[in-house]
Amino acid sequence: MIEEPYRWVEAIANRREYIEAQLAPGSPIAALGYRDGILFLTLGKTRQKIFEIYDRIAMGAIGHPGDIERLRMAAIELASTEGFSRSATDVSLRRLVHYSLSPVMKTAFEQIYGPPYLARMLFAEVGERPDDDLFLRVEYDGEITTNGATYAQARQDFAVLSGTQQSRELMEAFLKTQHAPDASFEAALNSALDAWSIGHMTLQTNDAKELPERAAVTKYRKEQLANSGIEAALLERDAGRAIRYRLLSDTELRSLIND
Amino acid sequence: MERSPVAFDQNFSGTASDFLTLLRSKGLLAPALVNPVPQAGTPQKTWQPTEATTILAFKFSGGVLVAGDRRATAGNTVVYDRADKVLEIDRHSIMAIAGVPATAWEMARVLEHSFQFFRRTQLQEMSVDGKVRALSKLLRDNFGFVMQGVGVVVPIFATYDSHPKPEARLYFYDAMGAQFEATDYAATGSGSPAVRGILYYENTWGMKPLQQLNEEKAISIALRALDTAAESDTSTGGVDRSGKVYPLIKIVSREGITTLPESKIAAVFKETVA
Repeated sequence: MIEEPYRWVEAIANRREYIEAQLAPGSPIAALGYRDGILFLTLGKTRQKIFEIYDRIAMGAIGHPGDIERLRMAAIELASTEGFSRSATDVSLRRLVHYSLSPVMKTAFEQIYGPPYLARMLFAEVGERPDDDLFLRVEYDGEITTNGATYAQARQDFAVLSGTQQSRELMEAFLKTQHAPDASFEAALNSALDAWSIGHMTLQTNDAKELPERAAVTKYRKEQLANSGIEAALLERDAGRAIRYRLLSDTELRSLIND
Repeated sequence: MERSPVAFDQNFSGTASDFLTLLRSKGLLAPALVNPVPQAGTPQKTWQPTEATTILAFKFSGGVLVAGDRRATAGNTVVYDRADKVLEIDRHSIMAIAGVPATAWEMARVLEHSFQFFRRTQLQEMSVDGKVRALSKLLRDNFGFVMQGVGVVVPIFATYDSHPKPEARLYFYDAMGAQFEATDYAATGSGSPAVRGILYYENTWGMKPLQQLNEEKAISIALRALDTAAESDTSTGGVDRSGKVYPLIKIVSREGITTLPESKIAAVFKETVA
């Protein structure tokens, strides 16, 4: 029965609905390009969500830990063998995602007798200048969204990931007005925390269409910070070192947060 | 069809935590030559070590100093006078090499990527023992080639261990991959007998034991030792006084690796060696 085209479309739609429901509670992740690099940030540390992939590439992901792990390992293996057999500068995030990850995720998603990848990922590659930073979001069906300019929007210096589309869109709307590529680390950190709070607040309500009030965001952020740990990492723009990824500790960040 | 390194394997299992296994599975690294076959017609000859260079390392008050001359030779010809034989593997590890450069640099590259691969996949730094063992395994895998008369490498490995107690660690190897931890100093290469003599003498009857020397004094002893080695060993460059090519000196400490600027080496050289 599934061979009939109509059945196949229906099966794919069901599968999409199922995966979306599975991903919906996923805590937001924000990646912000600023003057000296790219900051990845999320809150709540039950499970690590931000990872180093290669010298200039990092990843944040929500979804099933088993699937995230398989995709993460694949990305590291691909980047490492490429970097080893050619050179570190030949490892490109664009190629890694377009040529390797996306086709495999699409195939897994559409072969309805096999399991899809239950994961949504956010990749970033730090460039020499903020203009060269690349952000890619990869969906469970292999769909790729970049931060590049389109007819509908200007180039963005950030990318976000969240459980629902609504939550993600509100985070983006906030960062579009509040974040600039030449921001200092402190400014980027505070914008990222605000964006996370907005994304997380939206996940708790069913029909948030508008950005919440400033005061409500600040209050929510304070409550959340009191209870959960900050998970954050940097991709530093400093060209003096090959490996740009650096984990940031909770304590080193707390002192820079504006209350 | 040759596969590009970025091709995603459909049968990917996600379990290759070892970078060597991964490289070999992708055909990017020569397989270990476990049972070398002697070439037909050539008489069995005893293996002659031919690592033509001088590398030395010793612990001093500021960590471990690793120094190497810059000469690369093929037979009795000098092919290069700016060879870099003291290689940084990661933020706290140095591998200094005597032996065939092609094999040695490839080993350094494999090692560097292995450590990073481990950290990225396993989400923790590889232990010092693990790193030391990784180099040992590379040497062991290479021994088949050594027996065939190509690719001998005899390295020194210097690193800083922050766990369980912070201290500089120094290891030297033989061509088969046996690792030995040095308490005070190590030297390898054709010029090493002279160097070992000097370091033993300095450590035992010098003004101070090597471990208590300050940086200036340590540099001075390293330069004197290399100069002595170059005196009798044609494969060791020592200090080329006319061309202003100085040995390469790096220091491993708790803070990481420092490469001494040539100006500093030149200053110590002028004052205490020349």
